Amino acid sequence: MASPLDVNDEAYIAEIHALLEHDAPETDWKRVTENLLVAYQKQQQRLDKLLRISDGFGDLTHAENLSLTEQYRKQLKRLQKIARISDLYQRTMVELNESLKQAALHDPLTGLPNRRYMIERLREQSALEQRKNSGFALLMLDVDHFKGINDRFGHDAGDRVLTSVAHTIQQCLREYDVCARWGGEEFLVLLPNMGLTEAQLVAQRVLDSVRNINMANVMGSSAFRIKALTLSAGVAEHSAKEHYEETIKRADQALYEAKEQGRDRSASHTY
Amino acid sequence: MTLQDFLQAGLDIPASQSTPAVHADFAHGVMTLRGDSYPENSFDFFGPVLDWVEQFIASEERPLRLDISIVYMNTSSVKAMMDLFDLLDAAFQKGKEVSVSWFFDPRNERVIEMVEEFKEDCTFPFNIVPEVGNG
Repeated sequence: MASPLDVNDEAYIAEIHALLEHDAPETDWKRVTENLLVAYQKQQQRLDKLLRISDGFGDLTHAENLSLTEQYRKQLKRLQKIARISDLYQRTMVELNESLKQAALHDPLTGLPNRRYMIERLREQSALEQRKNSGFALLMLDVDHFKGINDRFGHDAGDRVLTSVAHTIQQCLREYDVCARWGGEEFLVLLPNMGLTEAQLVAQRVLDSVRNINMANVMGSSAFRIKALTLSAGVAEHSAKEHYEETIKRADQALYEAKEQGRDRSASHTY
Repeated sequence: MTLQDFLQAGLDIPASQSTPAVHADFAHGVMTLRGDSYPENSFDFFGPVLDWVEQFIASEERPLRLDISIVYMNTSSVKAMMDLFDLLDAAFQKGKEVSVSWFFDPRNERVIEMVEEFKEDCTFPFNIVPEVGNG
């Protein structure tokens, strides 16, 4: 039986099947199946017209027409299914890549951004500062006597403490502030567009909130043995003249001073 | 090599960066596909796979089982997989004992969506089995 397909459409359809064998990453399958649908519909119209004109005496009988239509419909459904499944796979790849990227930039225990993320943010912030003439401040926070907590209550308890502290710090911050896990028991907070005085207030707020953490919730039955959870904080305001690494050093220095002065307090180190 | 030789020799294609490991075990009637599938030319890659399955169904009365653990597939692999399932379905309709078990890592629930789509048009036994470590 001679194919009633228009020779151009037939070539197009053959092209698609060849494409399928040699799947190129840039193939837009959605568009391909849409175009194919149009090609099939055109064929269908041609067939119907043939039938109307010839009234069954032409090239195709009614039954042959139906059978061809059915074939087209099946082929199209199949191609659409292939495109659909393929699309699902593409999407999971994208999501997987995203989550891998996220994992590379986040601390698995607390869910906070990690050091690598923070450094990238600080670079961005410095660049922004130069353009918009705005500053930022840093808080370097450290859990007091953390080693003792780990040694006495175990690492599980230590993990729970860190997670609880991470959560508490975040609740004291604005939406665009960033709290990263900087070290084992250290957190670095970036406060964009904030000066020293305000940053010191934020530090106080964080320290107060951590002091108020309900240890029974965090530690369970061993809570009665831990007096309280406290942080020490070092505050530093970034100066336009310095590299952010210097600001980190100053915040670190201020943290050291807070520890030296007895812990459970904040100190600042001006430029 | 006759078709029968080809059948009995089975297939043992190690996995590559872009193609799954393929193992066809004539004695036990099991074909295993495991890994990612995005070959440049799926026709070349899946040709022997489909040929073997077709030949087994044609000449053996014993059951044939496919064990699949594929995580990612490009479009032409999806088509090849559908061709494979069409083969199995036609055989099943004619009374042959064929089945598929698709293994997936339960931590990756998204895979179920894809596999259910594959399963939808199949009339033969198609088991979707969670198994940790399958990607």
